[in-house]
Amino acid sequence: MMKRPCGTFDQTYAQDMSYIRTPFRMGLLAVLFLLLFIGFPLYADDYLLGIMNVIGITVVAMLGLNILTGYCGLISIGHVAFVGVGAYTSAILSNHLGWPFWATLPSAAVVTGLMGLLVGLPALRIKGFYIAISTLAFHYIIIWVILHGGNLTKGVWGLPCDSVELFGVSLDTERRMYYLIMVVAVTGTILAFNLVRTKYGRAFVAIRDNDIAAEFMGLNIFRYKVLAFVICSVYAGVAGCLYAHYLGMLTVEQFPLIDSIWYMGFLIVGGVGSITGAVFGAFVYRLIDQVVIFLGPFIGQVFPALSGSSVAGFTQMLFGMVIILFLVLEPRGVNHRWQIVLSSFRLWPFPY
Amino acid sequence: MFSQLIVSGFLTGSVYALMALGIVVIYKASSVFNFAHGSIVAFTAYLIWSFVVQLHLNPLLAGILCLLVIGIISFLVQRLILYPLTGQPVLAALMATLALGEVVSGFVTLMWPGPARTYPDFLPSGLIRLGPATITLGEIVNFVVCTLAFGAFVLFFQKSRLGLTMRGTAEDHQLARSEGVRVNRIFILAWFIAILMAGIGGFLMAFMHGVNQEPLISLGMKSLAVVILGGMESISGAVIGGLAIGVLEALGAGYLDPIFGGGVEEVFPFVILLVVLMIRPYGLFGYERIERV
Repeated sequence: MMKRPCGTFDQTYAQDMSYIRTPFRMGLLAVLFLLLFIGFPLYADDYLLGIMNVIGITVVAMLGLNILTGYCGLISIGHVAFVGVGAYTSAILSNHLGWPFWATLPSAAVVTGLMGLLVGLPALRIKGFYIAISTLAFHYIIIWVILHGGNLTKGVWGLPCDSVELFGVSLDTERRMYYLIMVVAVTGTILAFNLVRTKYGRAFVAIRDNDIAAEFMGLNIFRYKVLAFVICSVYAGVAGCLYAHYLGMLTVEQFPLIDSIWYMGFLIVGGVGSITGAVFGAFVYRLIDQVVIFLGPFIGQVFPALSGSSVAGFTQMLFGMVIILFLVLEPRGVNHRWQIVLSSFRLWPFPY
Repeated sequence: MFSQLIVSGFLTGSVYALMALGIVVIYKASSVFNFAHGSIVAFTAYLIWSFVVQLHLNPLLAGILCLLVIGIISFLVQRLILYPLTGQPVLAALMATLALGEVVSGFVTLMWPGPARTYPDFLPSGLIRLGPATITLGEIVNFVVCTLAFGAFVLFFQKSRLGLTMRGTAEDHQLARSEGVRVNRIFILAWFIAILMAGIGGFLMAFMHGVNQEPLISLGMKSLAVVILGGMESISGAVIGGLAIGVLEALGAGYLDPIFGGGVEEVFPFVILLVVLMIRPYGLFGYERIERV
């Protein structure tokens, strides 16, 4: 929990329950929102907005993964497949049936949630890294099904998906899409913040820390584990729906296994088991991606191979090394460092 | 067709068994599940190809150089990555091996980009009739080498002092430590043996189908299914699981491909894996763990 200076106490229950406890934090949050919704889009060009759009979608996907892995302790290395299910669901509905966005978003969430229910079923018997392997197996199976979906998913040819139309406005530019994605990402973050404080969030943490002890305390652990999978997949489905409408064209190659590994890895880099950690992870992931794109030409010169594949190889090595370094040197992630910085500001001039 | 599928599945399965053996050795010794196996298989296959075909080294010298490289890698992996993660939750070691796999496969993409490499044919391409089934000479060599490697493996663990020490360490780290065993060195040795197995398997597959990264990595991923089916701790389980997965995959591909339009062998081992996890999560020969709080 948040460290506060000596002598600052909560005096009502409402204060005790509130998430934003000090006026300073309220001000910080207000500045953040102003920057996010007014300041940034006012000055950023389409390129920067594009980066932020991808970050926003990644944040939504990572929040789901964080609830599953960070809070419930179930490891998933098939998360991208869920994003794919959400993306394909909304693309199929909008492409074949002509459904509008306000209908495809909840249906993508529901379909992916049901998929999560199915993937969560093995949790009845297994735990730990066996769960990880079962999600890996589901990843291969889901991708295979999408690839062989015939006319429905258009397999290797790719499935087009219309841009979003809300209240008569077509969100076909980066700038218009930016507002939609940010609203969804912020809503998702607030929901996640609150979810982990409820009965369910506490149950997840109990199961993560020791599932046998949690069962002994009277929790129906199977129910909660499956619930964690469902929540995780709903987030992934929403992210997938946004991704489909954002990209406008879906192929299976956009959902490779390696992205699941990066999601999981950068969740650790950000700080697994905290909501801000997931947000940090998404930012670090996509910003390193941008650095590599920026450095791409130089890498192509150093390794005179086919430049495209050498950049891909370099990215893979760099990402893998970042994850390993964080695991070994700072397993609590960027978020932990950020909290140290924050609390030292708050408590200044005292050391603690 | 049935007997043809059985025989060819059996022969592929022997390579799966060799792959799975590598994963089992590491898991038994240090309870780390090695997700990087596929990438390491690809790396060693490319390495051997470079030494033998690109640099025209004497096979003996190439072999010694390969052993040296494998030794260095296993030392670095254990010392720099896994040793600091001792005592961390499952997620840490799991992600470390996954990230290691990506580093290795990124390295392979950087060093050996482009299309698949092939070995020059130095075996006569004869077909052998075995009852109603036909097999190539290469497949026979493949099977024989796998069997020899497996035999050497079993002999090492049954007879040699070092092998016995390794088995003892796998049983109980603390007891082994109190007997004066350097447990960390045993882990390095386990990685060495595992990468050696990966190298042999990778060489055999590369020799048959050309050196190519994607299929070799998916080979490593499929050997996950083998390990789960056979049981995480069981060496005989790895062999039986490997042969079973090979045969089942060949049968599945043979009979289901016309229905689903191809590519069944890519996904069939994972379906088996899920079924095993649902019915018998500890595998055919694994230990059923009883947990205490």
